[in-house]
Amino acid sequence: MAMFWEFFTFELKFRFKSVSTYIYFLLWFAFNFLNVASENFGPIGGSNGKVMLNGPWANIYNDVGIAFFGVIIIAAIFGTSILRDFQRDTIQILFTKPISKFAYLVGRWAGSFVATVFAFSGLLLGEFCGTLAPWADHARIGPNRLDWYLQPFFSIVVFQIFFLGALFFVVAALTRKIFIVYLQGATIFMVYLVSLAAFSSTRSLERFWPGIFDPVGFLYIDAVARYWTVVERNSLLLPLTPGVFLYNRLLWGSIGLLGLLLLWRFFPMSVEALTARSGGKRAALARQQEQDEIRPRRSLVAAKLPRITQVFGFATTLTQLVSLTRLRISNIVREVPFWGIVILMAGISMNNGHYAGRVGGQNVWPVTYLMLQAVEGGATLFFFIVSTLYAAELVWRERDTRFAGIHDALPISSGIDWFSKLIAISFVEFVLLTVAGLCGVIMQTVAGYYNYELIQYAQELYLIVFPQILTFTLLAIFLQTVVSNKFIGHGIVIGIFVIVPILSSFGWENTLYLFGNTPPYTYSDMNGYGHFVPALFWAITYWLAIACFLGVVSVALARRGADDGWKARFAVARQRAPQLVPAGILFLLVAVGSGGWYYYNAHVLNEYLNSKDRRTIQADYERTYKKYLKLPMPKVVAVEANVDLYPETRSFSGTGRFLMQNRTAGPISQIHLSDQKQSFSKVHFDRPFRLVSSSKRSLYSIYQLDTPLAPGEKIEMTFAVGHTSRGFKDGNELAEFAYSGMFFDNGYFPTLGYDRSIELDDPRRRREEKLPELELLPKRGDPAGSRDNIFTTQSDWVNYKAVVSTSEDQIALSPGYLTKDWHANGRHYFAYDMGDVKTAEFYSFVSARYAVKKVVHQAAANPVSIDVYHTPAHAKYDVDDMIDASKAGLDYFEKYFSPYQYRQYRILEFPRYRSFAQSFPNTIPFSEGIGFIGRVEKPADIDFAYFVTAHELAHQWWGHQLIGGRVEGSNMMSETLAEYSALMVMQRKYGRDNMHRFLKNELDRYLRGRAGETRHENALALVQNESYVWYQKGGQVMYTLADYIGEAKLNLALHEFLKQYGYANAAVAQSGPYPDTRQFVEALRAQTPPELQYYITDAFEKIVLYDNKAVSAVVTETPEHKFKVTLTVQSRKMEADGSGNEKPLPLHDLIDIGVFEGKSEEEKPLYLKKEWLTQPTQTFEVVVDRMPTKAGIDPLNKLIDRAGDDNWMDVTKK
Amino acid sequence: MALTITNLSKTYPNGVQALKNLTLTIPNVMFGLLGPNGAGKSSLMRTIATLQDPDEGSIDLDGLDVLARKDDVRRILGYLPQEFGVYPKISATDLLHHLAVMKGITNKGERTAMVDAILNQTNLWDYRKKSLSTYSGGMKQRFGIAQALLANPKLIIVDEPTAGLDPAERNRFLNLLSSVGAGVTVILSTHIVQDVRELCPRMAIISNGELLLEGAPNDALNSLAGRIWSKVVASDDELRALEANFQVVSSHLVGGLHEVRVFADSSPGDGFRSVESDLEDVYFINLARQGKR
Repeated sequence: MAMFWEFFTFELKFRFKSVSTYIYFLLWFAFNFLNVASENFGPIGGSNGKVMLNGPWANIYNDVGIAFFGVIIIAAIFGTSILRDFQRDTIQILFTKPISKFAYLVGRWAGSFVATVFAFSGLLLGEFCGTLAPWADHARIGPNRLDWYLQPFFSIVVFQIFFLGALFFVVAALTRKIFIVYLQGATIFMVYLVSLAAFSSTRSLERFWPGIFDPVGFLYIDAVARYWTVVERNSLLLPLTPGVFLYNRLLWGSIGLLGLLLLWRFFPMSVEALTARSGGKRAALARQQEQDEIRPRRSLVAAKLPRITQVFGFATTLTQLVSLTRLRISNIVREVPFWGIVILMAGISMNNGHYAGRVGGQNVWPVTYLMLQAVEGGATLFFFIVSTLYAAELVWRERDTRFAGIHDALPISSGIDWFSKLIAISFVEFVLLTVAGLCGVIMQTVAGYYNYELIQYAQELYLIVFPQILTFTLLAIFLQTVVSNKFIGHGIVIGIFVIVPILSSFGWENTLYLFGNTPPYTYSDMNGYGHFVPALFWAITYWLAIACFLGVVSVALARRGADDGWKARFAVARQRAPQLVPAGILFLLVAVGSGGWYYYNAHVLNEYLNSKDRRTIQADYERTYKKYLKLPMPKVVAVEANVDLYPETRSFSGTGRFLMQNRTAGPISQIHLSDQKQSFSKVHFDRPFRLVSSSKRSLYSIYQLDTPLAPGEKIEMTFAVGHTSRGFKDGNELAEFAYSGMFFDNGYFPTLGYDRSIELDDPRRRREEKLPELELLPKRGDPAGSRDNIFTTQSDWVNYKAVVSTSEDQIALSPGYLTKDWHANGRHYFAYDMGDVKTAEFYSFVSARYAVKKVVHQAAANPVSIDVYHTPAHAKYDVDDMIDASKAGLDYFEKYFSPYQYRQYRILEFPRYRSFAQSFPNTIPFSEGIGFIGRVEKPADIDFAYFVTAHELAHQWWGHQLIGGRVEGSNMMSETLAEYSALMVMQRKYGRDNMHRFLKNELDRYLRGRAGETRHENALALVQNESYVWYQKGGQVMYTLADYIGEAKLNLALHEFLKQYGYANAAVAQSGPYPDTRQFVEALRAQTPPELQYYITDAFEKIVLYDNKAVSAVVTETPEHKFKVTLTVQSRKMEADGSGNEKPLPLHDLIDIGVFEGKSEEEKPLYLKKEWLTQPTQTFEVVVDRMPTKAGIDPLNKLIDRAGDDNWMDVTKK
Repeated sequence: MALTITNLSKTYPNGVQALKNLTLTIPNVMFGLLGPNGAGKSSLMRTIATLQDPDEGSIDLDGLDVLARKDDVRRILGYLPQEFGVYPKISATDLLHHLAVMKGITNKGERTAMVDAILNQTNLWDYRKKSLSTYSGGMKQRFGIAQALLANPKLIIVDEPTAGLDPAERNRFLNLLSSVGAGVTVILSTHIVQDVRELCPRMAIISNGELLLEGAPNDALNSLAGRIWSKVVASDDELRALEANFQVVSSHLVGGLHEVRVFADSSPGDGFRSVESDLEDVYFINLARQGKR
């Protein structure tokens, strides 16, 4: 034991003398300090603003992240502890002494363990100190509870140190190769990343087994806590009761223990065995050399060496450069780690590439931009690793190998020597980029996509990525030249790599001072690289020029000779200067020029605002003008627009005319206009008026009418409208304006009164700006709120017409029927008119180089022209699906809801700078990012474009015929009903049995959505701004309601409701109340039998969750050769409040009991019947004709259940 | 050709004064540089080999300012550092070809002939395709010699070249060096006095950065002729007594007894016999003289 203590304390002393231990400690200290002290740092701070920064969830999540990133530190400490003896050959001394194996191994291991735990305990201290930071967001800092700190720390971090440490220690002890020790940490890191990516791209909802086998933890926390609400995240720790987490810990703990046992068993405690094995190769080499040395000698007489001629000059310089470059390339490519990197990179790229065709859970064609995104996503890190690593290797090569004495005395210029290093790295990077590109091409081929677009590959990889890597390489070379040690250089490079995103999250987001930064860009099939090119080009040029300047400096300071002192190096630099100064000046000029041009564009032509500035403008607006919120304004009743689009300059100009009416009971004497986009001017009214005030940026202007507008009276307002894109911006390019695919909406037109959409809604940001909590939608029945419509407060229904012009080769669109189409002044003009059909005041202007597919569909009311405007490249994928969905939707909705109010339905593709589809009157701008390249491989695969098309079409009813008041709940009457309608169209196409998988994904998204709620979850009928409630929960409960009361009944309810409340306020002179969800729920109740009324209450007026579970399912064959299944199930029902606190509800519910046949994933129901459940545990006996495979309660997940997978189970034979 | 070193001084950042106002002329012959570890030999050689600059002083090679025109010096230089490594995973042939290109041997035929010849001369021919990282110490040293002699250098600087060579290889190397050394300035630093004796018409002893002696080995030996006396002493006490009373140059163990060499103009006493002086005596006496100052 004394001996153990000796080794243990020796190891501890060694670690505590080593500065690295304290660096690790400080690193973790800083990490967790910032996690708490700044919301801009770390994953918790940046996410849900209600989760406590020092709460249990923050600790769990951060600890798992640390378990991952700490792998390398654990490897470094444990791996080297045992290798030290081999590296320094102290084994010769150690193992000739009588020491026990136990004392040696366990002493070393335990010492490393304690030292590592100490290093990681920086986390605890850092977190605690973070809570004391006066500037931190104390709204998110809870009490410092010891158990919240320690339970995750011990169960996650210390445990991780235990078993990873054990594994690394074992590997190091048994292989005794420093190379493997360094590699293993990195390998585990990469392999984990790869498998995580592979797993997440399968979009599997299965978490149990992956959670248990996950050595790091992201999957087990997902398994345990993915549906945790805010309350739970602020109160629960990962349970150490039987479950995924405990099993995971037991599994990996045993693996760690087993490793140590094996080591103890197999570690030979003798110098002979150790060196023989470790030096097997070395020993053979030594023998070989001995033999070589004793070969017979030849004559001792020295023969004359031949005479040679030395030639120096330009040609020789070139030859030298080639020879040096070749030597340096071979330096790189003859290293095993390099090939490790290449293989890993190709592996990850191919793996990512394999899933390039899956976007948001949907199958799409892996078009080149997706493929590039995928392979680049996998490979970019490697490009940077290679340039960092090999810049250092090559700069230090001659010194590391001690060849410098010979190399530095060679008659070559230092510049040539330096240049050969740059070329070598560039060449290697070029090859890597090409390999990544090839991986993309290969994976496109594998996926059956043959339109390779090699030009795009070349542009992306060689023109955009390569210069950025070159910039980084030059930086790394420069740093390695000026620092005194390779690892300091690595540290600084990594620091710069890490600090750039951190700075930018703190508002330091200027491309001109974040090293190597380039503004974001998006490739679009409609636009190519489009308007991003100039900013990208100049940013790349700017940084490359700066990097080249650093390169010149590093040539000047390049080490040569024995004297590394700065005095000597500056002296040498002065000697080299005459040749270098011109190049340095040139690069500086280029940097200043391109930087100046960039500055001129981003800061002079355009106003430069970082995200904080933009938020402050929003907050100021709210602070100053919120007082006008309730000031009565007239409502717009007719809109006329005359708009000229200039896609080639990404601008537009035009005029607009609003006809407005006082639809209130009192006179209106002031008209207030909000101008969020600073896009209109020259406001003029058809009667005497004066401008009272206008704010900075003309965000808010007040006009006084000389004679007030009497109730019912109309007034006409005209104005100029436009937007001019000047030069380029530092990111934040407006997505609305593109060379092809310009798409903007009425947001560019005046808003009457205070514009609520300008308000900040993120609670964190509101606190930062010292704003009170966001004002919610008023209660149902609120007199003021009820008189406004949920989409726009400034109008009820409008008549709309527009003349739109665009460039000659494009088609411009706006809602309405095309009444005239002509060419003039080299431009293409279109006149659109909505005629007498009143529409919601929601219009857009779109222009692109379109191909059009038109189909006339004979719908119930009128023939409807279904038009898809798409980019020609996307002709063959989704266009027909969209048309089919439109037809199917029209048929269904007209049959069950009401006639379609228009004669056309147009889908307009727009660039993927924004990813949504939006329903304007008979006009659906549809992003290329969520449609147009969809791919259906199996007939049962859900076709996302089909679904979205049906959803947007349904909005022509739910949103364009039925509009609710501006009160809580109203949003669901458009989104939930559109979602339900689309689900029904889908069910027609795919059949009932294929809906399960789709619904299960919807359920998952609802549960995740509520877990991420930043304010308060509301019941569906009271929904505020919770999209996961109105989409996913809404769709789910409506689908289930249709299942419970019958599709026809439900549709009848909708039909009646629409008949009564559609076009509210369309035919009156004074705005009255709009419908709200009270009437809607009533309409549903009217069609629901009394015994099922509870479901309406649960689904719409409460947040209800079930916990259904199959406990046992046993089958016996009856004498009649039928199969009797005895099924025991549990069922619980809970009601949650908005924060996630749950309380039990009494159970008296009708729930599916089902028995299935068929193998996994292909189950078909043999028996499915609803049963009343009243007891927590109930047993059912079901007799079926064929052998079942599965049975359970609510097996098709119709009810909201946080553990949906345990609803059914495999049937066992008795 | 002659190398004139004038008033050379160098102090390292850590305060060590490696060269103290050293002035030395090295003629166009094989020139031996003797000195204990840390004497400044390597500093001097690195300075001549353009690898570091002195604080003061100048070096002139037949009118070529070595310190200012480094590149011109490097073209005619063959340099073998005292300690050096090689790139791993590259063969001797490949690296020699590379170095030959660096030294301006651009003609492929000439280069091949030279590389082959020198591989033969250094007895590396059989291992020329093997990775240098597998070479033993002696083989690596031979490779170092090979690269130094690659381009018919006019100025050869070899720092401890025979370290690590077995006796046969050492002889081969000395033969080789003397065969290329005709008409060339060769500076050979060593702590093996024997090397200088065998090879160098001129030599210098430096210690603590100062020049102690410069001249022909024979002249130095002649100056000691008849003044070196040897005696075998029986006990440590006797040795101590001798040290106190005489200038003991060195002592060797012979069969467990001390054989002491004493420097004296006449016989120091009983039991001493006159022995022939050797270069080692010169070396030690000069070092001792510096120590007394």
